[in-house]
Amino acid sequence: MFKYIIRRMILVLPTLWAVVTFVFFLIRIVPGGPAVAALGSYATQESIRELEKKMGLDRPILVQYGAFLEDLCRGDLGRSLITNKPISAEIRKALPYTLDLTLGGMLIGIVFGVPIGIMTALKRNQAPDYIGRILSLIGISMPEFYLGILLMYVLAIKLDLFPVLGGGDMSNPGSRLYHLVLPALTLGIIMTAFISRMVRSSMLNVLKEDYVRTARAKGLHEKVVVYKHALRNALIPTVTVIGIYMSILMGGSVLTEIIFSRPGLGKMMVFAVKDRDYIALQSVIIIFSAFVFLFNLLTDLLYSIIDPRIEYR
Amino acid sequence: MKMSKYGLFLLVALIFVGIVVSSPVVAQEKAVRMALKASDIRSLDPHYGTTTIDYACIDPMFNGLVRFKPEDISPDKIEPDLAERWERSKDGLVWTFYLRKGVKFHKGYGELTAEDVKFSLEKAADKARSGFAGDYAALGKVEALDKYTVRLTFKSAIPSVLGILTNYHGGYIISKKAYEEKGDQFKFDPIGTGPFMLKEYAPKEKVVEVRHPEYFRGKAKLDRVELWFMPDASSREMAFRKGEIDIVEGEREQAWVNKIKQIPGTAVEIFGPGETLVLHFNMTKKPLDDVRVRRAICHAINIEELMKFLGPDVTTKIVSPIPMDYLGGTDKVPRYEFNPEKAKKLLAEAGFPKGLDLSMVITEMSDYRRPMEQVQEQLRKVGINLKMDVITHTAFHEQIRKDVNPLVLYVCARFPIADPMLTHFYHSKSIVGTPTAVTNFSHYNKIDDLIEKARVEVDPKKQKDLWAEAQVKILDDAAALPLCISKFVFARKANVDLGYEMRSTLTLVTTIKETTDIRK
Repeated sequence: MFKYIIRRMILVLPTLWAVVTFVFFLIRIVPGGPAVAALGSYATQESIRELEKKMGLDRPILVQYGAFLEDLCRGDLGRSLITNKPISAEIRKALPYTLDLTLGGMLIGIVFGVPIGIMTALKRNQAPDYIGRILSLIGISMPEFYLGILLMYVLAIKLDLFPVLGGGDMSNPGSRLYHLVLPALTLGIIMTAFISRMVRSSMLNVLKEDYVRTARAKGLHEKVVVYKHALRNALIPTVTVIGIYMSILMGGSVLTEIIFSRPGLGKMMVFAVKDRDYIALQSVIIIFSAFVFLFNLLTDLLYSIIDPRIEYR
Repeated sequence: MKMSKYGLFLLVALIFVGIVVSSPVVAQEKAVRMALKASDIRSLDPHYGTTTIDYACIDPMFNGLVRFKPEDISPDKIEPDLAERWERSKDGLVWTFYLRKGVKFHKGYGELTAEDVKFSLEKAADKARSGFAGDYAALGKVEALDKYTVRLTFKSAIPSVLGILTNYHGGYIISKKAYEEKGDQFKFDPIGTGPFMLKEYAPKEKVVEVRHPEYFRGKAKLDRVELWFMPDASSREMAFRKGEIDIVEGEREQAWVNKIKQIPGTAVEIFGPGETLVLHFNMTKKPLDDVRVRRAICHAINIEELMKFLGPDVTTKIVSPIPMDYLGGTDKVPRYEFNPEKAKKLLAEAGFPKGLDLSMVITEMSDYRRPMEQVQEQLRKVGINLKMDVITHTAFHEQIRKDVNPLVLYVCARFPIADPMLTHFYHSKSIVGTPTAVTNFSHYNKIDDLIEKARVEVDPKKQKDLWAEAQVKILDDAAALPLCISKFVFARKANVDLGYEMRSTLTLVTTIKETTDIRK
């Protein structure tokens, strides 16, 4: 397994390089180039040239690319065009908040989504199934910003249980958790809907399998049949989907961060777009990409834990 | 099914976190949290701060030689601030200021001396280090006569010397030592003498200021001020309703005012001087180089309807680019009544019988975008199709200074004397794109002599006549169309005592002073 991880890590490098290269050139093929994008389509030639020079864009593209890679290898993501602060410092500050939110949202999604999925599968075409399916449909359809405001109104304003402002004090776990609950619940409810549907679907497939029928025929307790024989097999596709959702959740935390005025990478990315801070935008996308690879790797590793037949060589 | 007990457990745990962590904390510090409609600051260097969020952060940290009374921006009520007294020569060209002794800068940067004042005013007058250098063009030299005495010599008389030395724009005094030490980073780590000093700047999130323990007027009543950047109106409102925000920047809309008034324990403040909404016509861009087209646009805009849309509580009428309550404002100017037929006729005369197309950029900020959308709709009715690209506020300010728009809606307030407004918007030296550019978006250049004569005129009546003549010309040439004045709207918790009665402020926001307190 260790060798597998090393091999995957090594394989990540060329993939990451491909993403980085793609992002770098993508920014540069925006009509008129990044300076025009930064200044708007009405920018004068003089102002475009001025900014291009400031951004180092007046140099040949390959020279720029080389310098970009060189800086990246040194771990230097550059400085924000707006604040002139090192991007890496801003990312270091924002990243923990985004990870908290992503993991919190996913945890809620798994804890509620998996049991609901199992229950709706076992009670197929009965009242709990219908209720579960309708609720999950509502969850999937609910816009994140609307759900966030709704939760804020009920749980924060009416019941006065949680705060609505900021991400709390990073050095204080209590404050951090307290400020995390509502935003994580916002994402968690949506994740619950997705995961419960996935688990239900997988369970329905697995429950039809011969080995489940055999287990029941052997007289095994229904709990053992469901949790040991059916669920473990149903979890493989679920874990794959959870891995993908983790990445989506991380990138999709933008609105939640804005609504709850939390610091975070998503918010940083949106404001980078709004302020035309392309250096910041480029860096945040690189960080997001790295996490997508990490989540994929973790997902692959989880397979062998869920299903011991899967071996990594 | 049993697995759902874990879900239940998590739910109970979450509620527990809510109940336990939200329990009252004893011995809380006195803090006021303000939410402002912004995504970030541009600069905390007071000589560059130009947005309302900048003003809100800068004002509690700095002082000027003199200051406006906290509640009133009348130029005749300017009072001592860092200077305890001053003298002026008979010709009004030499001013000597005697500084207070023992005024301390933040964070151990020492005592304020005449050298700091000299450095600050010279910086404010230097276009390489200040956004307001034009205001100090008449300033000849600044001399530190001794540790506590500064002499200012002007090359020519200006309408209000005290005006440019107030706690506003270039008049803020900074620490020379700190600026020389920090250089470009001063804009994110400023040092002043105000009642509050910077503790933290979290980009895209907030600025935190704490009490300056050595403030010369005595310690501020508050321990801490937090200024949150919250561009989303719903989030600001929710945070205010929840009580996590004490002062909130409102929407300048009647509906918002009516809604927020319903929240118990809320005081709504609608204050002046308000910002003028003026539509500037770029006279160098076709087809606006034709006065008939510009006049057609003026006749096509229904200002009464626009004001009704924006809200009667939050707007007031304006007929000239200089508001009536500014020194030099007049209402004896040509007016363009709403007359769509006349507008169409003028367009036809100018060679556009079928109307015309215009493209421009507009900021996402609702204070600009909403009125401009109304104007867009009104213009459409006379055949003028105005295509608007919505961009960020920062980009908008950048773009209009790059001369990209045929029409520029500019929303602003200036020192309440006609001269700065006329100079910034209608003097040829202020034309955008020139080395001395300020905000002359119309490229107007026909009243330079009137502005300059008025500036040095010592007879107040003659001075007012010159300013009035300049305003008549601006409107006669349809260089710009004044739309209305939009007042500022803030809501605060009734237990927040500002320490003064908010009537008008040039900072455009409810500002926190040393007297601001929280009542129990």
